[in-house]
Amino acid sequence: MKQPYDHSFHAFIQGIILVGFAMLMLHLILTGNIVYYIAPMMMPFIYFALVVFFLLGIIQVFRSTTKTDHDHHECACEHDHHIKGPSWVKTIIYSIFILPIVLGFALPDRSLDSSVAANRGIQLGGGGNASSSATDNSINETDQNNNGSTSRAEAFLEDPEGYMENLTTQSGEEEHYQFEDIYDEGWFDDYYAELYEELMNNTVIEVTEDNYLDVMTVLDLYLDDFIGKEMEIVGFAYRETDFHSNQIVAARFAMTCCTADASVYGTMIESEESNRFDEDTWIYARGTIKKDHYNDQPIPVLVDAHIQEVEEPDSPYVYPSF
Amino acid sequence: MKSSQGKIIGKDLLGLGLLLLFLILFLFSDRVSTSDYAEALPSAWINVNTIFLSIVLEAIPFILLGVFASALIQLYVSEETIKRFLPKNAWVSLVPAAMLGAILPLCECAIVPVVRRLIKKGMPLHVGIVFLVAAPILNPVVFASTYYAFRTNQTILYTRMGLAFVLAIIIGAILYSIFKSRPNQLRSQINVSLANHHVHLDGGEDLKQVKKASALTQLRNTLYHAVDEFFMMGKYLILGAFIAALFQTFLDRSLLEAIGGNEYSSTFVMMVFAYLLSLCSEADAFVASSFGSSFTDASLVAFLVYGPMLDLKNTFMLFAFFKVRFVLIFMVTVTLCVFTAVILLSGWIL
Repeated sequence: MKQPYDHSFHAFIQGIILVGFAMLMLHLILTGNIVYYIAPMMMPFIYFALVVFFLLGIIQVFRSTTKTDHDHHECACEHDHHIKGPSWVKTIIYSIFILPIVLGFALPDRSLDSSVAANRGIQLGGGGNASSSATDNSINETDQNNNGSTSRAEAFLEDPEGYMENLTTQSGEEEHYQFEDIYDEGWFDDYYAELYEELMNNTVIEVTEDNYLDVMTVLDLYLDDFIGKEMEIVGFAYRETDFHSNQIVAARFAMTCCTADASVYGTMIESEESNRFDEDTWIYARGTIKKDHYNDQPIPVLVDAHIQEVEEPDSPYVYPSF
Repeated sequence: MKSSQGKIIGKDLLGLGLLLLFLILFLFSDRVSTSDYAEALPSAWINVNTIFLSIVLEAIPFILLGVFASALIQLYVSEETIKRFLPKNAWVSLVPAAMLGAILPLCECAIVPVVRRLIKKGMPLHVGIVFLVAAPILNPVVFASTYYAFRTNQTILYTRMGLAFVLAIIIGAILYSIFKSRPNQLRSQINVSLANHHVHLDGGEDLKQVKKASALTQLRNTLYHAVDEFFMMGKYLILGAFIAALFQTFLDRSLLEAIGGNEYSSTFVMMVFAYLLSLCSEADAFVASSFGSSFTDASLVAFLVYGPMLDLKNTFMLFAFFKVRFVLIFMVTVTLCVFTAVILLSGWIL
């Protein structure tokens, strides 16, 4: 004999699972550990999901108390929503939903480490395609058309968060960037030209969480101009198997949406102090920029560097700044 | 009588126990996650966990948007509306479907429930498929991110967009010619006509019922639909995310790069990458650009076109909604189309 489908029970369990998801998100947001999973740019969507899950969870628990729910429900399409199969199948299905919630609470929140970096391959230059075709861009050329549209870059530099927020609210929920940006061809060169000026005027190039990827790109585009300048950088220690004993990389994961798309950037450091640091310890390094080659790619190297161990930064990942 | 009452109490206890478990975890999470047993876990598994949760958390809001869109379509878009807007000719209707995909900014997580609902509402299968493969690529957000990731190599951007448009139509046409005599490829088709009876407005009883339904009831039904659909799709998303996280952690990319030597094998390898990594189409361009130094432009385009059309996590969701045979034929078609197109193009523009 077949058991009737127990609506109220399923609605009840589903409601609690939804509340569980909401609690997990709330927990990650409150502890700040959400940075290990989601890029700040995607946070509005997480807040959205948090609120919706709480509401749906509560509604679902209420739905479970109305026994006659199904008869009232004038929409007959519901049958295919039933979770089918014998009770062990249902148990497995609900376990699938409970699993990420329990894992999220019970396992430590940590950033990806050097074993993932080794798997994904590290970029020691400014990154993939930028180096090959853009190196012939002369800075003077881009300087000349530097007059017009710098306001966007300025707005961003002054208040990055506000700028991003504006973008999000202006362009609706699904879009993170304004569509017109795409057609604003000169913007990139202007933006990087400005950063180039700024970096050249500073005695020491400070690489921070906020400017990480941009500095890497500028350094890659105009490496020759930066030879001999001092630079300081923070990253986790990483080594390739073919490194010399005085070589080490200060690496960062760059994340666009989530850790699945995180790629690894790093700056090669040459120093006698290198071998004192284990992989995955967070290091601060300060040294002089030199141009060198690794796997036939031109890369910047920090030579005569001073290295010291530091605390893991609040935001272990770096993010694209547009 | 007694036993059934006992059962109800037991079930209630089960739910309450679950709630209690969540509450305890919520309150004492710090203590649990820093305890010895958690610290003793191999770091590789912590990485799996991080990537797994990351994909799940990132995809959930988009799944929610997708199921809400689907629930709204269920309640407010009638079969007649869809019929009116689609050209009568099956072949002609492929083109506006691809263009519709270009307007709506839906990613590959959100598109599956929407397409399923549209097909249930009477949109022809092949048109839905065009929509399914076109929308995740041909959308403004993906355009922008590809532009940023490949700003020094805009050929990739335009090839990606162009190829997605053309291939979506070709894939739709192929599937139409295969399945035109058997358009019912959704699972549990029995309810299709029933499903729409409250918007049909043909039976007198229904008409009265619909008129009586207040705005509150409508809202309630929308939310119920959304929850039901979330639980239908969610399990496949979570499974897909877990397997993708395993591949993300344990698959050594240099191994695959080593066999990616010539045009054929590198295109193939990049398609395997795209499938296994299960990236969001909004972010995959950045990953592709990180492969830039070791792979040809053609294989990068293959990565960027194939991934959003078909990947591990959305395969699971497709199996949830469509018949097995159909999903398999769909996968083979998409794979062959993308591969052939990229190989052909590689001799020409790329």
